[in-house]
Amino acid sequence: MNSSTTSLQLTRLWETPHTLWGTFATVDHKTIGLRYLVTALVFLVLGGLEAVLLRLQLSHSDLHLLGPEVYNQLFTMHGVTMIFWYASPILSGFGNYLLPLMLGARDMALPRLNAFSYWTFLLSGVFVNCSFLIWQAPHGGWFAYTPYTNAQFSPGLNMDFYALALIFLTISTTAGAINFLVTIFRLRAPGMSLNRMPLLMYSTATTSALIVLALPALTVACVFLELDRHFGFHFFDVARGGSALLWQHLFWFFGHPWVYIIFLPATGMVSMLLPVFARRPIVGYGYVAFATVMTGAVGMGVWVHHMFAVGMSQLSMSIFSAASMVISVFSAVQVFAWLATLWRGRPVITTSLRFAVGFIALFIIGGLTGVMTALVPFDWQITDTYFVVAHLHYVLIGANLFPVFAAFYYWLPKMTGRLMNERAGQWSFWLMFVGFNLGFFPMHIVGLLGMPRRIYTYPASMGWDAMNLLVTMGALLFAVGVVVSLVNFWISARHGAPAGPDPWKADTLEWSVDSPPPAYAFERLPTVRSRHPLWDEHDEYADPAGERILAEGRLTLATSWRDARPVAVAKMPEDTLMPLLLSLALTAVFTALLLKALWMAALFVMLGLLVTAGWLWPRAEKEPA
Amino acid sequence: MNALAADAAITAEQVRGLPLDTQRGTVAMALFILTEAMLFVALFFAYFYLSLDKPQWPMDEPPTLTMPLVMLAVLLASSGVLEWGRRQGRAGRERAARGATVLTAALGAAFLVLQSLEYRKHLKVVMPTTDAYGSLFYTITGFHGTHVLLGVLMLLYVAFLPRLGPGDRPPHRPLHDASLYWHFIDGAWIVIVALVYVLPHWQRSSP
Repeated sequence: MNSSTTSLQLTRLWETPHTLWGTFATVDHKTIGLRYLVTALVFLVLGGLEAVLLRLQLSHSDLHLLGPEVYNQLFTMHGVTMIFWYASPILSGFGNYLLPLMLGARDMALPRLNAFSYWTFLLSGVFVNCSFLIWQAPHGGWFAYTPYTNAQFSPGLNMDFYALALIFLTISTTAGAINFLVTIFRLRAPGMSLNRMPLLMYSTATTSALIVLALPALTVACVFLELDRHFGFHFFDVARGGSALLWQHLFWFFGHPWVYIIFLPATGMVSMLLPVFARRPIVGYGYVAFATVMTGAVGMGVWVHHMFAVGMSQLSMSIFSAASMVISVFSAVQVFAWLATLWRGRPVITTSLRFAVGFIALFIIGGLTGVMTALVPFDWQITDTYFVVAHLHYVLIGANLFPVFAAFYYWLPKMTGRLMNERAGQWSFWLMFVGFNLGFFPMHIVGLLGMPRRIYTYPASMGWDAMNLLVTMGALLFAVGVVVSLVNFWISARHGAPAGPDPWKADTLEWSVDSPPPAYAFERLPTVRSRHPLWDEHDEYADPAGERILAEGRLTLATSWRDARPVAVAKMPEDTLMPLLLSLALTAVFTALLLKALWMAALFVMLGLLVTAGWLWPRAEKEPA
Repeated sequence: MNALAADAAITAEQVRGLPLDTQRGTVAMALFILTEAMLFVALFFAYFYLSLDKPQWPMDEPPTLTMPLVMLAVLLASSGVLEWGRRQGRAGRERAARGATVLTAALGAAFLVLQSLEYRKHLKVVMPTTDAYGSLFYTITGFHGTHVLLGVLMLLYVAFLPRLGPGDRPPHRPLHDASLYWHFIDGAWIVIVALVYVLPHWQRSSP
């Protein structure tokens, strides 16, 4: 069988028809990955617009651009949107697109579940933002502390939107995490044993494990909140034996691991692209992999450090303080590995590398203020001040947004087949880097001066005016930088110079296929013999007997979890509308719950079960053409 | 050198003749069970956290023991039946496997009936709206009951699938994967009986 007939046959098998049906039915991980990326960027812009409004309101004392209630809704939705609907889904987008290609597989392990994750992510985001239509958006902060959020103090639909949308979203996130884990441990190319996995696999696997273990606490907390609010339960009601702190424990038991969930994959992406631009393998591969896993493991046990100010025993605070400081050791291992890689390499300075180095700088500042806040007495001093706002933005923007932009400049040429414009990229980087520091560094100082978080305005007598104006200007500059990149992505994806399969002379398997990759990704499934398949002398595609073409259906190879020996042929599902239908049924369920139409909700649950039954029912085979 | 030789063996291994993969669904089910288990861990955390500052927990009378132990017996029996059915299925005796699956689902339904009887009695002692203990008691057992209901539906669905064993398209091992879930529900009830039903009695009887 010659190459062109093979690729024709594989295309027929794997390509989704370009019809309306195909648009909604596709299970192709590349399409889903791109949709994740675009949707998460839309949420980034939404959350960013909210931030701009907040900063305009705070730019001067005693302004009344936004009233207190609107301000509360906007700052809550800014946090909720950025943390839940941008920061994690954008990483899922990269993971979805890249993981199968890096592993040498033709799709994710559970492609229909993957489509379901995306639709559920999208619809839950639409659901929560619909709250703006009636100006009853969540207004209790992204942390939603009780008793502010119980029925007595927050009677509207605001926090119902919050609780229900988060339960809705956890379904998507959990499904996605399970999919990543199964993919990583079942579909790696023959020879890609654990000690040869690209580092992004370690961070994605760690993150996914954290999601599986920590997210149920959020679900339980939100269920408790709804039961308290509408059915007269007493979980958070101190008068009847409940506890307001129970919410905080459950929320932060999930919430702190979530910080690593939106941070580790970003470090994983930097560990992939930084060595490529340093033109050498990463220094301390084993240490970085170990530090990644340990960050996740210890990260499960530090949640109480968000609660030092609530009054607890000295012993428990000391334990959690120590654990929080231990984490910085593992983060430092990664930072030093990156620095050493740059030091020992011959760096080629590109926009992508600039963003990666910018990330290291910001992450060190955010990490150091993190160590400061892990100290109990210091934490008492700065709790609920702008110092914490500065710290968390250095960590979240520094360690999520900057690596994500580095990743866009690195991998968009693979996804679009076009190189991004470097000059616009440099402008964007410097605007973002300077704007960010101009905007967020002074927050440390106003925080130390005593400016509290979550206030909608302040009197001129406090003397915070000049600082706040500086913060607002910096934030606007930063926003301009983000827009420059977004425009660059849009234009370059259409008119950029052709990228070719491997514009960066990189080492991992995704760079061995065309840009953008064909629907079936690999004509012959690759084998791997080192950590850097494209840098060694092994021919990944040598297959004289034509055994690894697998063109008898949608097929890919399944391998053993540790040393990646081929053990089975994995059959992949066809495109189907069922995942979308199930997501729509869930949307109806949560909308009914929001309106307290319980019978209606039960009806839609049954509809959802019927759809699931249809989804899993075996169907007749599509004959290979 | 050894490593390279081993690599050559892997990269040149025969692909033709490999069986179809049946593990992805099973691993996904195992992970799903893990995340569900963490749901119960969070519920138990709330249960014990709220007990910390109380002179007695439950705040009212502890629930009676007889009914939950009968329910435990029903679930344990159902797991036994299902495991027997799974082995029949693996040995190719599909009729026996289907029969055992339906019987398991019936036992699960019996469990739900018994639970509703127990609720009817216990609601006179404490309601979910009485106090935080009541809220937790009914939430924990109610979550479990919902899982049993889901398990029953899952088993009935599996019993009517055209094929129970590994096939050439997903779902790969429906009976096997559903039985994992059922055993998990069973195990969760053992923990609930121990922590929510037996422990309070034991604490009150020992000074």
